Amino acid sequence: MIEPAWRLQRLVFLVAIVVVVAFAIWLAVTGSLQAAAWTTYNVTHHCVDVVATRNNCFALGQTYSTLNNFALVNLGLAVAMPALLGLVLGAPLVAREIEQGTNRLAWTQSITRTRWLLVKLGVGALACCAIVGAMAPLLEWWTGVIHRGARILPSLFDISGFVDVAYVLFAFMLGAALGALIRRTGWAFAVGIPLYALARFVVRDFARPSLVSHSIAVSPAVSPAAGGISSPIPANAWILHSGDVPLGRFSPAPGQTWQSGFQTVENCQVAAVSQVHANRCIAENKLHYVVQYQPTSHFWALQGIESAIFIGAALVLLGITVLAVRRWRT
Amino acid sequence: MSEAVAALETVGLGKRYGRRWGLRDCSVRLPAGRIAALVGPNGAGKSTLLRMAAGIARPSAGEVRVFGHSPQRQTVDVLRKIGYLDQERPLYRAFRVGQMLRFGERLNPNWDAVAAHGYLSELGIPGDARVGKLSIGQQAQVAMAMCLAKQPALLLLDEPLAALDPVAREGLMHLLLGSVADGQTTVLLSSHAIADLATVCDYIIILSASRVLIADDLDYVLASHRLLVGSSEGASHTPAGVVVVARTSSERQIELLVRVEQPVTDPTWRVVEPTLEEIVLAYLREQSAVTDARVGECVEGQQR
Repeated sequence: MIEPAWRLQRLVFLVAIVVVVAFAIWLAVTGSLQAAAWTTYNVTHHCVDVVATRNNCFALGQTYSTLNNFALVNLGLAVAMPALLGLVLGAPLVAREIEQGTNRLAWTQSITRTRWLLVKLGVGALACCAIVGAMAPLLEWWTGVIHRGARILPSLFDISGFVDVAYVLFAFMLGAALGALIRRTGWAFAVGIPLYALARFVVRDFARPSLVSHSIAVSPAVSPAAGGISSPIPANAWILHSGDVPLGRFSPAPGQTWQSGFQTVENCQVAAVSQVHANRCIAENKLHYVVQYQPTSHFWALQGIESAIFIGAALVLLGITVLAVRRWRT
Repeated sequence: MSEAVAALETVGLGKRYGRRWGLRDCSVRLPAGRIAALVGPNGAGKSTLLRMAAGIARPSAGEVRVFGHSPQRQTVDVLRKIGYLDQERPLYRAFRVGQMLRFGERLNPNWDAVAAHGYLSELGIPGDARVGKLSIGQQAQVAMAMCLAKQPALLLLDEPLAALDPVAREGLMHLLLGSVADGQTTVLLSSHAIADLATVCDYIIILSASRVLIADDLDYVLASHRLLVGSSEGASHTPAGVVVVARTSSERQIELLVRVEQPVTDPTWRVVEPTLEEIVLAYLREQSAVTDARVGECVEGQQR
């Protein structure tokens, strides 16, 4: 049963593998070039420390930023990969059978439609996960090249660790469910893209910051105009919020925003004749500077919980697909 | 032997497409072991009936049972018993013929692989040919071979002879008859080729305008219908005890197709035994006139 189920999806998978391999090679080449450019620029010529004194630093910097433009495109592609892969493979799974009428063949054999569906879904899901899983080490290396160690930052988080395996599973099941409901491969794909993007957006911007309770760093009140924030935040942390808030609190008082405290400090600075005067004004307002952040140590916990969310959603979609297929009649 | 449970039984079965009924109030009983022909004009509801029996169309009214079980529930039990040939002969076009057969083998525990290969070599279809590259007729033959190799108890064949040339038709019928010769398989096949059916079928269901006109033994149908030919002047009254199905009149003579209970002895009429084709055509031509008689036919069909 697995063999014909695989044979039906094989062609699409082979095409997908060719595309993904091409992308992987491209990523490896541009990534290596960028890593080399960074080494030349920073390590060999110490351009970061003494930019103005070296003649070739400007040229080296330009090489690096040109490659960084490629990196932005690559980042977009890497983020889109699970979505495209999952939807391309998931959308036709049921819809194509209905479009071509072969469901009337497959669903009148001696096994239930549910079983045939589950076999096909299992084969497809496994292949999707294998492709994305194989890309994971490469992406991990690449995120290291473009942004050393900061993989907890939202856009890098999405292509690091194992979370993109959960994404591809979700996209695959989304495509399959939409295909079973809409019964048109093209429409399932077209509707799937915005739905996937919406789900990812909602989870990333609204759920992820609080999936693991954030850490807090506190320091004396400052204004953004005062420049460098000298708070004890660990390197590469994902900063969620920061601002001047009343002493004793770690978030703005009710009715106030993270900006309100800054405004107060700013007013003190403007009104003050000297810095001493300003500091006294700030002290009278009883503010301190708070940073809410997710440290890098929360990376795997966040990956695990977010993966669980998308795998859970994929299971719900699996249920919907099974129901839709079982209910299908002309 | 298994007269108790019908291979296929429908009670008040109906299917509505929007406002239009594709099949309406259909009650037929097909005893096990029969080879039944399902005839009727295009749009009469033949495909609809077969699809509901195969569990891929949902009835709007009434119910359908295959060996006493509802095919709607799609249980493995019923699925195993049904061999369904869809009108469009859906096959995986990207597969080779051999792969298509292997698909059947993997999904059907009763699959007769030897027979399946035998059928196709008999028909001269190479196993390594792409299904999509075969002619329409060859695709129909592959689809048919898959139905037969499944060894179902009930074969539901929607227009198996369509798109086939006369030689291929004969070949396919030969194949069908060969594989159901043991008498264990019930066949319900829809077709327009009434003449072909008469030689292979022993049961007939006539559908027209989404209603059942006749569902009965072929022998009984042949025996209970007569063509009465009389001159226009002498035939002012019809003989007692006959039900007129269709009337054709010309200047010189009148032809009546009638249903009879006993031999017609009225000397004003010349009695001729009609062919199946004549009976079917008479019913289909006069469908509206026979709508009342339909109920009687159907009930009689069930009683027998």
